[in-house]
Amino acid sequence: MSVIDILFRVDDICRKYEKYDIEKQRDLNATGDDAFAQLYAALESEIDKALLKFEAASAETNRAAAVAMNAEVRRTKARVKQEFPKLQKLAVKKVKGISKEEQETRKELVFVLADRIEAIPDGTSTAAKSNGGWETSASHKNIKFDSSDGNYSNDFFQESEESSQFRQEYEMRKMKQACLDVISEGLDTLKSLAQDMNEELDRQVPLMDEIDTKIIETNNVEKVI
Amino acid sequence: MAGSNPDKLMTKADKLTQLSLTRWSADWKSATVLYEQAGNAFRVSKKYDKAKISFEKASKGQEMLSSPWDAAKHMEAAASLAKELGNWTEVADFYKKASELYNECGRSQPASDALAKAARALEDAAPEDAVQLYIDACVILEEDGKEQMAFDLYRPATNVYIKLEKYADAATLLLRWGLAADSCKATNSQCKAYLSAIIVYLYAHDIKQAEKCYNDCSQIDAFLRSDQNRCASKLLSAYMEGDIEEIKRLAQSSTISNLDHMIIRIARKLPTGDVSGLKMNATKDEELLDEDDLT
Repeated sequence: MSVIDILFRVDDICRKYEKYDIEKQRDLNATGDDAFAQLYAALESEIDKALLKFEAASAETNRAAAVAMNAEVRRTKARVKQEFPKLQKLAVKKVKGISKEEQETRKELVFVLADRIEAIPDGTSTAAKSNGGWETSASHKNIKFDSSDGNYSNDFFQESEESSQFRQEYEMRKMKQACLDVISEGLDTLKSLAQDMNEELDRQVPLMDEIDTKIIETNNVEKVI
Repeated sequence: MAGSNPDKLMTKADKLTQLSLTRWSADWKSATVLYEQAGNAFRVSKKYDKAKISFEKASKGQEMLSSPWDAAKHMEAAASLAKELGNWTEVADFYKKASELYNECGRSQPASDALAKAARALEDAAPEDAVQLYIDACVILEEDGKEQMAFDLYRPATNVYIKLEKYADAATLLLRWGLAADSCKATNSQCKAYLSAIIVYLYAHDIKQAEKCYNDCSQIDAFLRSDQNRCASKLLSAYMEGDIEEIKRLAQSSTISNLDHMIIRIARKLPTGDVSGLKMNATKDEELLDEDDLT
């Protein structure tokens, strides 16, 4: 038998058993007027796209690009989640020409889709919370004062010389700390100004190079003239 | 030819370009000159609609003469006149055409400038279109490797998104800004962009997203070592504790005050919604984990 004959026979057999081809049937169904099938197909394609993007993001070596792609995946996931209640409502509605079994399978499909949506990985691996060497002062220093029921004699709360000295020192230190705070604020502002100026100058460098080349060109032209 | 009456110039130019039995090819050279003169004269006498039409035709003439640069310049003139008339669709169309012509010349900077001007003009009238134009302008610059210039465009685009209250889109755009900053090693702008994105998510009261965003950004070395990272971690831990005073105090700090003024404004309004609910959720999650560990 020649190759051509084989090809024809294969085509014939495929056509004969087309109704068993799941992919094709799904496509045919999707192009129908059935709102459920359309929405389902749309959501599925969104999920596939999101998965592809996640694969691309995990293969991406550039961290910043990976971050941007993860953000896109999350946005798609949020959008699909929004459309999901609509799908659920459509699944329950009775559509003409659909058998009872199809109705049941639709509800199952909806559940499966819900799981798939949740399973879309959005790169939330909790990164090792290394603070990069900074000492973060905890905002909840639970300092407990234990109230001992000791003898509260009259002298207990009397200000001794030492304690008044302590108080004075404390006041002075507080003032100095306030001044230091002001200086620190000023330094912060200066630092951010300096960083911004740095970036601005970096931006100007290639522009200056362009101006340079253009002036040299014009000079040459003038010389010729 | 010192044409005194611009209408006469227009009709003369039109005649030169109309094909008829006696004229087999249009004389675009002289026609373009006449169109330009007419356009200028109309602009001076404030007849904006006629001026716009004559600049359009002048641009077409320049295109025919294969000088896309002049054609683009005339298109921009026509677009600014359309802006005076408040004809927003025409403004967008003209600037887009001008941008394409600049791209033909191979000059990406003026191309993106044209789109940026269009976006600025449309910010009030059609903010959705405006933000799309800003993004297109950024794409043009990034393709040409000029990401540094794109910073000036990302800023107004995020502002428009925040005005439209589309916080997820604003945050995604900020992350894109961070990416652009990364490719030109502008670490300060990159860290500021990431901190702004986290603040936008917190303002939209989407704590989970803010945390995910923070985790993502922590994987980037430049951000990890920066002040903005400290500020972000303090802010998130304050949210976890439900500590409103701490959140307000951080919003006044200098790190946040160095971001864009739009971001500062929303940071001062933090926290939105109920923070104390989060504290209880956090403890509940921990209990569940313990149960899993035992089984």
